[in-house]
Amino acid sequence: MTKLSTLLSAALFGATALTASAVFAADKPELTVYTYDSFAADWGPAPKVKEAFEKECDCTLTFVATDSAIGALRKVQLEGADTKADVVLGLDTNITEAARATGLFAEHGVETPDNLSIPVEWTDKTFLPFDYAYFSFVYDSTKVKDAPGSFEELKAKGDDFKIVIQDPRSSTPGLGLLLWVHSVYGDKAADYWKSIQPNIVTVTKGWSEAYGLFLKGEADMVLSYTTSPAYHLIAEEKDQYKAAAFEEGHYAQVEVSAIVKSTKNMDLAKQFMAFTLSDTFQDIIPTTNWTYPATKTAAGLPKGFETLHVPSKTLLLEGTAVEEKRKGLIDDWLAALNQ
Amino acid sequence: MAYSTGAPFLLHLTLSRFLPSALPGLTCAALLLALVCTLLWQIAGLSGGEATLFASLGGRDWALLRFTFFQAALSTILALTVGLALAWALSHQRRFFGRSLLVALFSSALVMPTLVVVLGLITVLGRRGWLASGSETLFGVGLPFSIYGLGGILLAHAYLNGSFCVQTLLGRLEAIPAERRKLVRSLGLSAWQRFRLIEWPAVRGSIAPLATTIFLLCFTSFAIVLLLGGSPRYNTLEVAIFEAVKLDFDLARALDLALLQLLVCAVLVTLSSRFRVVDTVVATNPWRFAWPDSRAARALQWSLITFGAAVFVTPLLAIVVDGIGADFTRLVQERSFQQALITSLLLASLSALLATGVALLLAAARRDLVLPNRLGARKGASAVASLLSFSALLYLAFPALVLSLGFFLLARQLPGGLTLWASVALLVANLLMALPFALAIFGPALEKIGARHDQLAFSLGLSGWQRWRLVEWPLLRHDVGMVLALSFCLSLGDLGVIALFGSQDFATLPWYLYQKMGSYRTDDAAGVALIMLVLTLTVYLWAARFQRGGYAQR
Amino acid sequence: MLSVENVRFAHEGSEEEYHFHLTAKPGEVIALMGASGSGKSTLLDLLSGFLMPLSGQMLWEGKAFQNKPPEQRPCTILFQRDNVFGHLSANANVALGLPKGKHDPDRIEKALEQVGMAGKGEQKAQTLSGGQQQRVALARSLVREQPFLLLDEPFTGLDDDTRHRMLPLVKAMAEDHRRCVLMVTHDRQDAQMIADRLMVMDNHRLVEHSL
Repeated sequence: MTKLSTLLSAALFGATALTASAVFAADKPELTVYTYDSFAADWGPAPKVKEAFEKECDCTLTFVATDSAIGALRKVQLEGADTKADVVLGLDTNITEAARATGLFAEHGVETPDNLSIPVEWTDKTFLPFDYAYFSFVYDSTKVKDAPGSFEELKAKGDDFKIVIQDPRSSTPGLGLLLWVHSVYGDKAADYWKSIQPNIVTVTKGWSEAYGLFLKGEADMVLSYTTSPAYHLIAEEKDQYKAAAFEEGHYAQVEVSAIVKSTKNMDLAKQFMAFTLSDTFQDIIPTTNWTYPATKTAAGLPKGFETLHVPSKTLLLEGTAVEEKRKGLIDDWLAALNQ
Repeated sequence: MAYSTGAPFLLHLTLSRFLPSALPGLTCAALLLALVCTLLWQIAGLSGGEATLFASLGGRDWALLRFTFFQAALSTILALTVGLALAWALSHQRRFFGRSLLVALFSSALVMPTLVVVLGLITVLGRRGWLASGSETLFGVGLPFSIYGLGGILLAHAYLNGSFCVQTLLGRLEAIPAERRKLVRSLGLSAWQRFRLIEWPAVRGSIAPLATTIFLLCFTSFAIVLLLGGSPRYNTLEVAIFEAVKLDFDLARALDLALLQLLVCAVLVTLSSRFRVVDTVVATNPWRFAWPDSRAARALQWSLITFGAAVFVTPLLAIVVDGIGADFTRLVQERSFQQALITSLLLASLSALLATGVALLLAAARRDLVLPNRLGARKGASAVASLLSFSALLYLAFPALVLSLGFFLLARQLPGGLTLWASVALLVANLLMALPFALAIFGPALEKIGARHDQLAFSLGLSGWQRWRLVEWPLLRHDVGMVLALSFCLSLGDLGVIALFGSQDFATLPWYLYQKMGSYRTDDAAGVALIMLVLTLTVYLWAARFQRGGYAQR
Repeated sequence: MLSVENVRFAHEGSEEEYHFHLTAKPGEVIALMGASGSGKSTLLDLLSGFLMPLSGQMLWEGKAFQNKPPEQRPCTILFQRDNVFGHLSANANVALGLPKGKHDPDRIEKALEQVGMAGKGEQKAQTLSGGQQQRVALARSLVREQPFLLLDEPFTGLDDDTRHRMLPLVKAMAEDHRRCVLMVTHDRQDAQMIADRLMVMDNHRLVEHSL
């Protein structure tokens, strides 16, 4: 069907450069990377990463977007041995243990670089970090005058104050928030969820849908990152979007990628893994993925990042600890929201 | 169904005489049933057969089932109330500018892409929507309700299904014999008495089948609940199945949920044995007698029509207003859009042809089994006819998600690649989706033709292709056009199977739109929604225009 | 010659039995009368193949035809209604009477002329009046050239004028083409006008009466 539609589109719209390149590209080896939609989007890191990597590899790099990072993992699971994916990019440390348990991933074979600069020690031989960030609620300061400074203040805002969050079963930010609340409230987390349940407008599958709803004005705050305001500041030159600093501290997210075991391009996949920690890749990240790069590069962070809130206290649970609790926490969360 | 006068004719015609017309339809029905069993088997195989049935379901799932029931029941009541009120008002106000367009628009709700409607509803009723901005400007407060959650689900269901049943109910009301109208007119009865005495009895027969259809549609509702449910607070089983597969990759749970849904729906479908989805898809000729109503009744009718039209048209208008601002030149040059458009158009055309063909075969076989002067008087014919009808109603019982999951698992074992099987899964799902409606159109029409013309045709020896060309085709072709349009539009707007299969390599317009709605490309989303709206309305209204002429002749 | 020999028939689930015995010669017009529900139409349905006899024989020129499907029987039938396909032209309706695959516009035109419908061949049947539709059906019977013609009250409900023009047509068909005609009617005058013999259904049996 795709071939047919490709042919038809070529016939209908003339042999555009795009279709032409797709035809010729068949000769080169192709590396397919499954990732979440905002990474693969035209305005995300993917186009620049593709351009830079293809200069080095004499290959075609293809990003396949799913609506969320965990969605990418599930897609690989669904497709089984037939999967086209060579690399899955965008999982985070909270889901790596679950991903490891599927047995679908191979070792990356990349030495941890000296300039690695993430909130945790790194020894994992399967999953390789490429960026990190701190979860945070983002609001529009022209509309929200006194943003909450803690989970308790958020609760005290009353039912009219609306937030939009992501589903912890599909989205790494959603899972991150679940763990964040758990880190702060421990056994009382379910009670907290019950108390803010009326504030939640909707729970989305992935980050971009939630952020889109927030920008459309459907909510006062959205679960995102402390680095999100940088996008509005640098790309849009708007300074009204702020990350709400929570005094309990912020949960960190370290995003990783991994090679799919069934890949037919193992060498190329390893080359790509190493590339994700190169300065070229790392310098693309801040202004496209709007997160902190995983390494300290020569160029450093772009202007504007210095304005961002840096949490005084960083929260992050061990991957194995998360995996033990994940199912139980999700069940509690679902139960709390179904009240 | 009125058969020609006289005693039932027991033709001494052998079974073989009707095999050519019955066998293809029966084969199709058998294939459909076999396919569904195979797909269920696939999932059962992978979910690890040792687990006991329904073992993976917990207390939360019974709450889920309860909510799905509750939601569907409420949606059905709302939709029927809205539909009946509008049909009643329209049946009394027979002449005003744009009436037939309005009725056709209402009936198009059946094929309206749910995503587009939801997008329109959000634009109008969202927290920053038209109504909220208006209310804020006028009264300084926003809306007291949210479109997300139960309210939004009910609203969207009532919107789509309410307008869809306007048409059927209006058809019933307009079919009331003129003599009866004259009688109550001469007795000088009030509007309420007239409703009770002649109008309610006229529509009553349609209420049960309509309610069953709407209930099943809402019970298995997917896109609306996915987008407006504020997941996971308000879920249907269908969405829970989707989540079990896509979020948790818990196939055992998905299978259990699917079997649960299958059980409930199959019971419902079987219970409603007199099930007819739509009796009249396009209005018959309106009656011409003037009907003087009291001023109060007229005022009520006009407010219902005005309000109904406004509520129905505003979200569509919102799509137009938002969509016009989209950058169409860039959009049509985008490769992913081109691919989605072409894939959608190809799939929709193919499934329209497929659905029309299969529905004709099924309807032809059903006619053989139902008409007493064919095989209808034989033992067991009605049982086979019921099984045949059930095969056409599979979609209402069988979750599209389970269908696609089955295909997905099948695709992993078979050669041909995922895209091929994704296309097959989509075609099959679209076929199943269109069949209940297609059979509801073809079935009664073919039976009517048979009852009226069989004797003459048999005595003249008209049979096979010649008979089809001379009798069925001229009388059915408007219906064929309608079914083609209906299944084309249903396929074009469907976000079900594609939710599982959709990817960068394989996208349809609804999937593309869903992606655009997910990312914050709202301009593009509005543009795509507008394109889908225009495509659907053009095709559907075009077909509806022609079909109106087709009834008088039969 | 048409002979119906000791034909017995009963509707399903009914105890009442009908008995038919009758012979008819080519060129003969036989009127069938009797109260409503007495079984007149049942005889025509048996002859035309829409009902099966319990026992007995039906023969044309000595050949039994009771086991043949309707279209292979030596008869042509006109019902009370629905004798034409409304969506087809008069010509197309008449053409259905011709043997399969045979095109004969002259024959059709002549037949329509015979029933007084000359020049109306292109019209859709549903635009014609009831009487005109029955004439088109009669024209089709003409071209069908089956040796006997069964008329199941096709002229009931037509105005007197039309009826009085149609009946001679039937008579002419019988005489000119040596066909035998069985005509169910309620109207004794109609019977007297063209019939050679009169048979009446009495107590489920066919009895010969004088005209």
